[in-house]
Amino acid sequence: MPGHRATAGTTALLTLLVLVLAGCSTSRGSDTAGDGPVRLTFWSALRGSQEVVDEFNRTHTDIKVNFQQVPSGEQGGWAKLSNAARAGNAPDVATIEYPQLPSFTIDGVPRDISKLLPDSVRRKILPQALDLTTFDGRTYAVPVDIEPMVFLYRKDIFTKNHIPVPKTWAEFESSARKLKKEQPRSRIASLFTTGGTLYMAGYAWQAGAQWYQTSNDTWRVSMDDAPTRKVAGYWQRLMDDDLVRVEPGSSQQWRAHLRSGETAGYLAGAWAAGSMMASTPDGKGKWAIAPMPQWDPAKPKVSTQGGSTFMVTKDSRHPKEAMEFISWMVTSPDALRAKLASGVSSAFPSVPGLVPVARKEMDTSYYSGQDIFGLFGKQAEMITSSWKWGPRMVSTTTSGDDGLARAGAGSGTVLEALREAQSRTMPDLKSLGLSVTTD
Amino acid sequence: MSTVTSSRRTAPPQAAAADPPRRIGRRQQRIAATVLLTPFTALLIAVFLVPVGYAIYLSFFGEDHSGLGFGGGETVFTGLRSYLAVLQDPSFLSGFGTIALYCVIFVPTVVVSALALALLLDSGLIRLRRTSQMLLYLPHAVPGIIAAVIWLYLYTPGLSPVIKLFAQADITIDFLGLHTVLPSIVNIALWSGLGYNMIIFYAALQALPREVIEAATIDGAGGIRTALQVKVPIIRASVVMVCMFSLIGALQLFTEPMLMNQATPMVNSRFTPNMYIYDAAFRRNNYGLASAASVILLIVTCVLSYAVTRWSGRRERRA
Repeated sequence: MPGHRATAGTTALLTLLVLVLAGCSTSRGSDTAGDGPVRLTFWSALRGSQEVVDEFNRTHTDIKVNFQQVPSGEQGGWAKLSNAARAGNAPDVATIEYPQLPSFTIDGVPRDISKLLPDSVRRKILPQALDLTTFDGRTYAVPVDIEPMVFLYRKDIFTKNHIPVPKTWAEFESSARKLKKEQPRSRIASLFTTGGTLYMAGYAWQAGAQWYQTSNDTWRVSMDDAPTRKVAGYWQRLMDDDLVRVEPGSSQQWRAHLRSGETAGYLAGAWAAGSMMASTPDGKGKWAIAPMPQWDPAKPKVSTQGGSTFMVTKDSRHPKEAMEFISWMVTSPDALRAKLASGVSSAFPSVPGLVPVARKEMDTSYYSGQDIFGLFGKQAEMITSSWKWGPRMVSTTTSGDDGLARAGAGSGTVLEALREAQSRTMPDLKSLGLSVTTD
Repeated sequence: MSTVTSSRRTAPPQAAAADPPRRIGRRQQRIAATVLLTPFTALLIAVFLVPVGYAIYLSFFGEDHSGLGFGGGETVFTGLRSYLAVLQDPSFLSGFGTIALYCVIFVPTVVVSALALALLLDSGLIRLRRTSQMLLYLPHAVPGIIAAVIWLYLYTPGLSPVIKLFAQADITIDFLGLHTVLPSIVNIALWSGLGYNMIIFYAALQALPREVIEAATIDGAGGIRTALQVKVPIIRASVVMVCMFSLIGALQLFTEPMLMNQATPMVNSRFTPNMYIYDAAFRRNNYGLASAASVILLIVTCVLSYAVTRWSGRRERRA
């Protein structure tokens, strides 16, 4: 038995080794030798990045970008970036999701670009998106896309069973009950276990929750504030009454249910429209998109789910050029066209001025020609900017997901899962020396 | 560490009694000792002492962030901050709870079944002794990660032929459920550890003086009585050793749950202390926390091994 087990000592060794290896394995892309163009390295897990970079290199002579596709965050992309930064050789430009940005900023990976970001670019970006990349008055990343949450639903199933498309959460519940009654095998949507915490965050955000706040130089953590309790109770009821399917997010199982119509709806960011087209091609003509149900239709509020940002790293030796590259990627119609040409994407650009380009490039026959970008645009304007992501969201989301999985298996509740996520995140924040309170 | 102490204790005492070879000079002896000890010492330093030292350093020094932390930090002495954070972390402590529960199931099961098999082999009741020995030992030769992959295949709904078989008999069985996942992990450990521990017991039984067994037989003790009241008490030292190794092995439980973490959310990312350390370092990017947890785990393991060794040593002396 004792032969093949890692000991505490070897775990420490592993730590050391990874740090050392991260130092050797990544070659620095940016070298200043010679008078040639400035060479930048760019890491991203976003699909279509290669096409965007090719287009940039084709149209620019003074800057050449060397692109490297990295695994998505959970699959090692985050670890790769933070190890490279620890070793001092992070790429010039890297992609990071909104929830992870505070964590990387605290670790000193992105550069403060408040002064670097040209006003001309800043003005074009949706202010709510920029709010999510600005901490303590300083901007650390440029938003690529901002993803207002919407409700994707099976129009054919809703029409056939005379179920109204819900405008409020109360209607959502009654529609869910009606659907279950008319089609006992179908459910209106899913409550995700794996990955579910970030969806729950979207629901809570919409209801006005503030899991993380900053005031007086202190983080305030409250994952069980009144709006969160309302939302958690609501989903608990849907789960207890068997009105939603409880399953891991992005799983085979979930996709199979979407295909068969056993799951007739999906609440997610705007990007999901394109993802649905790719993963469920035979749903063409059957799906439609509606705004998120509201708590108070008189005061509609919208939150986001998903979305990414570009950072210039502290390690970059060419921050000015890196910013030029980012500005081009975020604001240029050519960049968006190159990205859209590479495949189906309905990511909503953080620059509203680009929406006409996206609308023109996107074939929406899957949604029976619905003007989905028009819908996304209206929703994006209603995004409330009260929300802040916390300093260690990986800790928060993995703990929350564990709790949701247990709640799904009948042990514990949605609210308990969120409370546990908070209590399991606090030690991380404390050991980083952050000033933090739960009052 | 524990291995060193225990093997010293169980080492045969003849070595001291034997005549030292006087012909060889002291100088040569010293050279031989140096040559023979160097590889061990070098490895000990490189793969144990240095990492432990670095872990201790990381646990006391870290980036200090003040306030919101966005200003960037500098490496400073942070004192016991990481230790306090770990000890206040319910998920770290629950990892030890998981281990305790695992031990309660695993240690008695493995000891009793390995002992039973060894006694059966020793009694000569089993034919083809060598073949059955080898068959039982074979799983131990399979690396832990491979064993975990094989069992995960058998546990996963939709893939597993076992689940399919049960399903045909209308029995729904979920090996990866909330309450079944720990027994499933114990089963993997049992599968790979049973043969190994059986060999230890069997070797100890083989070394028993035959006169004692004969005396028992003459006194009229049957096979079962001889096994339980004569053989087992004599090989008690081996039993204690197996218990101790199983306990230490359990504290370092990592491979199987780590792999199962990919397959079921019922094994969370901080399921055992070792997984907590991995999660803190490589997913939460909190090296201070990971190092402090490593040092605490190391101390717990050392203290526990020492306690078990001392306790069993005293028992033996009294016996």
